[in-house]
Amino acid sequence: MTSYFIRRLLLIIPTFLGVTIIAFGITRFLPGGPVEREIMRMRMATASEGVGGGGAGSVLDPTSEMTEAAKKEIEKAFGFDKPIHVAYWDWLKRVCVLDFGTSYNFQEPVWNMIIDRFHISLIFGSLGFLGAYLVSIPLGIFKALRHGSYFDFGSSAIVFIGYSIPGWALGVLLLTFLATDRFADILPLGDIKTGSYQNLPQIIKDIEQDNVIYDDTGTLIWEKMSFTSKLIDRIYHMILPVFCYMMGSFASLTILTKNSLMENLGQDYVRTAFAKGLAPRRVIFVHTLRNSLIPLATGLGHALGYIMAGSYLIEMVFNIDGIGYLGFTSILQRDYTVVMGILSLNVMLTLFGNIFSDILYAVIDPRIRFE
Amino acid sequence: MATAETSIQEPDYVNSPPTLQVRDLVVSFKVENDFPRAVDGISFDLYPNEVLGIVGESGSGKSVTSLAIMRLIPDPPGKIAEGSIKLRGQELLDISYEEMRDVRGNEIAMIFQEPMTALNPVFTVGMQVMETIRTHENVSKDEARKRAIEMLTRVGIPDAAKRLKEYPHQFSGGMRQRAMIAMALVCHPKILIADEPTTALDVTTQAQILDLMLELKQKEEGASIILITHDLAVVAETCHRVVVMYGGKVQEVATVEKLFARPLHPYTKGLLASLPSTHEKKDRLYTIPGNVPSILQMPEGCRFCTRCSEVIDRCHTEEPKLHDIGNGRKVRCHLLEEGING
Ligand SMILES: Nc1ncnc2c1ncn2[C@@H]1O[C@H](COP(=O)(O)OP(=O)(O)O)[C@@H](O)[C@H]1O
Ligand code: SF4
Ligand SMILES: [Mg+2]
Repeated sequence: MTSYFIRRLLLIIPTFLGVTIIAFGITRFLPGGPVEREIMRMRMATASEGVGGGGAGSVLDPTSEMTEAAKKEIEKAFGFDKPIHVAYWDWLKRVCVLDFGTSYNFQEPVWNMIIDRFHISLIFGSLGFLGAYLVSIPLGIFKALRHGSYFDFGSSAIVFIGYSIPGWALGVLLLTFLATDRFADILPLGDIKTGSYQNLPQIIKDIEQDNVIYDDTGTLIWEKMSFTSKLIDRIYHMILPVFCYMMGSFASLTILTKNSLMENLGQDYVRTAFAKGLAPRRVIFVHTLRNSLIPLATGLGHALGYIMAGSYLIEMVFNIDGIGYLGFTSILQRDYTVVMGILSLNVMLTLFGNIFSDILYAVIDPRIRFE
Repeated sequence: MATAETSIQEPDYVNSPPTLQVRDLVVSFKVENDFPRAVDGISFDLYPNEVLGIVGESGSGKSVTSLAIMRLIPDPPGKIAEGSIKLRGQELLDISYEEMRDVRGNEIAMIFQEPMTALNPVFTVGMQVMETIRTHENVSKDEARKRAIEMLTRVGIPDAAKRLKEYPHQFSGGMRQRAMIAMALVCHPKILIADEPTTALDVTTQAQILDLMLELKQKEEGASIILITHDLAVVAETCHRVVVMYGGKVQEVATVEKLFARPLHPYTKGLLASLPSTHEKKDRLYTIPGNVPSILQMPEGCRFCTRCSEVIDRCHTEEPKLHDIGNGRKVRCHLLEEGING
């Protein structure tokens, strides 16, 4: 068993190399890369300054044609001057000491940017995941025990809708109806906390009525708020995005729980348990449930990977400054150092998640012995 | 002939009342809008100390009968539609669910065909044996463990104290069936229902398991076994009496000696003829032609008429009665009235 996990750990290396090499290659050959964007930006800048203005240090000749030398200069700035294998090797060497380079757009070390945002994505994602488990498991059990009832059919309709609407689309829908005056303006449009006093929910204004918690411009001074107010404001901002995360895995988890329990209820060992004179409660909640939860528990191992993958669009929709949002904007803006950094992180989370899943599997299912 | 002093416990059909009386039991399953009967009005008695065989090909309704006695018919789609099942005079079909739970595993225990799947894979064998004890008796965990080790040792599991902590998949098929027997007998039930207990095992293990069951029965005053099998050879070695079932009905009841010496029902004759015999060397074993019809396509008249080699006209239209021909022997066949066989 130990040797199995050592092998699994070693396999991470080639997988990581494979994925990053492909991604690195794509960043090289995809049109609209950073070099082209920079050239475009300079051309625009020159154009607006006027031909006669000719600012100091302009790399463009009067006909707006870029010289080869200037182009080389830009390529060098982005590390695009070296052949791809050399560039990749350089990148890899730096990654080994957690140096992911500097963001083109933010001029900030990528690693710091990731660290600053990781916990945000983690909190939103794991709350959503936890919520999904807390709702799906009881619901799935109930549906299995009442298989074919009106409740089962009714909830299946909801599950089916949940299954067909992606989390981000649901987010857009909910924002439209619950965060604008189209239907009820009761929840914030996005972000992770309120910015101006005016937008604070009434309940916090009531709590803080004796405190001045904003400056002349009406901007909220977060530090001056009480702990309770901060907490309420955080929760207030979490309701919709966490709900959308939840809906993302809710449907499949419910169906998985139901099917797994139904399948187990038909097993021989259940008949044996009843034949021993056990109470139905014990047969279902001890004997059957323990078996049906095996696939669900192992799914926990993949949680981090799922959370990061799910965060791209949901964080975008809710304007949450997490890893997903950063990744999404970096792809659009061809901020490749950031893209590669986030990709490396996600690959590692997924690969370690798989191994963690296997460990969980071996722990909960005594039959599993990895060779 | 069995007295309190004799160590060999034999059934006494004359002086002791039956432990279990099954009367006109009907079990139906909902199939689309129909309620076909998997068991159709069967009756039999089980006496103290008796080993009663229930024999018939697959699909005859043997398992359904045994599950009905335990009130374990899956509902839906199944239902005990009619009849009576009395345990020492007590009607099992009338008692509450909680009272029935006290009967299961405690007064009537059951073991099944597939030892591979009959135990819960994620719990230790010890936990599963101890669970039976603690369901029916108010004993401490340590006491239950002691009893479990004792019982596992009695069924021939070596090093039971250690194997108690192992999971079912760490046991061989034969060992698992032994563990099942330990689990079934640990509360000293009066009746053990064994539904094809050896079908999934190899020949050597089969004999060992049957011997073990008989041996343990002998040690339990008044205990009896219902042994369900499709194999008459198993019956010959173990049972006192046999109930032959076909198409959800009792076709013949007889003591083992009489049944083998002179089978009366054409179905019984067919089953006997298909036994591998050591006396005559035939090239090929006889098999009864055709298959057991599904409960949705049971023929009119005699259930066996589609496959019977002695079929006569009235068999197709008229259901034969179960004739009582004395000495506890019963046969359901028209030929008895026709005077050909009786
Ligand atoms: N759960 C069920 N649903 C529908 N039909 C069933 C069910 N269980 C048993 N039957 C039917 O009852 C008949 C008798 O089955 P069974 O008692 O298992 O036969 P045996 O044990 O003699 O092989 C079979 O024809 C089978 O199709
Ligand atoms: S009643 Fe007729 S068909 Fe049925 S067993 Fe007797 S002879 Fe055969
Ligand atoms: Mg059967």
